[in-house]
Amino acid sequence: MAISTEKLTNILQSFVTSTTDIQGAAVVTPDGLPLAASLPGGMDEERVSAMSAAMLSLGDRIGSELARGGIDRIFVEGDKGYGILTSCGEDAVFLVLADKAAKQGLLMLEIKRTLSELKAVLM
Amino acid sequence: MSLEPNEFMSKMVSRIGLTADDRKVLQSTADWGLEIAPEMADYFYEYLGRDAEMSAILNESEGRIHRLRETFVDWFHEMFTGMDNWGDAYAERRWRIGLIHVRIGIGPQHVVPAMAVVVHEAGKRAQTDGKNDQLRDALAKICMVDLAFIEQAYIEVSSAAVLKETGWSEGLFRRLVKTGATAM
Repeated sequence: MAISTEKLTNILQSFVTSTTDIQGAAVVTPDGLPLAASLPGGMDEERVSAMSAAMLSLGDRIGSELARGGIDRIFVEGDKGYGILTSCGEDAVFLVLADKAAKQGLLMLEIKRTLSELKAVLM
Repeated sequence: MSLEPNEFMSKMVSRIGLTADDRKVLQSTADWGLEIAPEMADYFYEYLGRDAEMSAILNESEGRIHRLRETFVDWFHEMFTGMDNWGDAYAERRWRIGLIHVRIGIGPQHVVPAMAVVVHEAGKRAQTDGKNDQLRDALAKICMVDLAFIEQAYIEVSSAAVLKETGWSEGLFRRLVKTGATAM
């Protein structure tokens, strides 16, 4: 069955608009191709996709080489906010951009919930 | 990223336009090529040796420059003979020469101008020896094919190392290069 990019986009848009302090989200392939995105204006979707896939892949490699086991997520904390990369099955990577004020516990729960929605569409 | 030497060779021969006539001209002057090869090796390594960094690389170990000169003479002669009519053996050997350049640390920024010196000096020598223009053209073309192998070896080896260390796929790597270059 074909993957519905419309459904993916709807899930992302709903996630971004309904979750406090979320600024953007994207789903990309492990090869860095965009599948769906709801990103802040001015961000290049193609570039964000390539960087996201690269980061998660590198994280996997670090987990393996440095004996950290399987990687659940890559968490980037900057002084302006967070970038969180989570594997979305074998075929996708989920990127979330959040404001510095975001509550991390809530953020992780929302990511987990949204991941299951995305996986259902990607299956 | 794994390069298929024969496939790459065919692509370069087609792009550079090395014709059947060019091959015939080169093969018919193979003896002359062998005769002038040591002189061309002198030009090549004299040029590289002018650069302090290259000089250090060329003289890093006992006898290296001597071995490299011998390889150069063989390589130069092979451009005329084409080994197996510029087939698989020729392509494999060019690929290996490219890899040796990477291993030693002689990069395109050094090889390209050094090769230009060889093309220029070989052209001058051809004129002095009364050879026709077609030989000079054919020699320049095959030099460019060989140069492409050396340059490509650098790209392939660098890329393969990045892919191995990061776990990135080739597709992702190409995308990163593309998006990164666009952002520069």
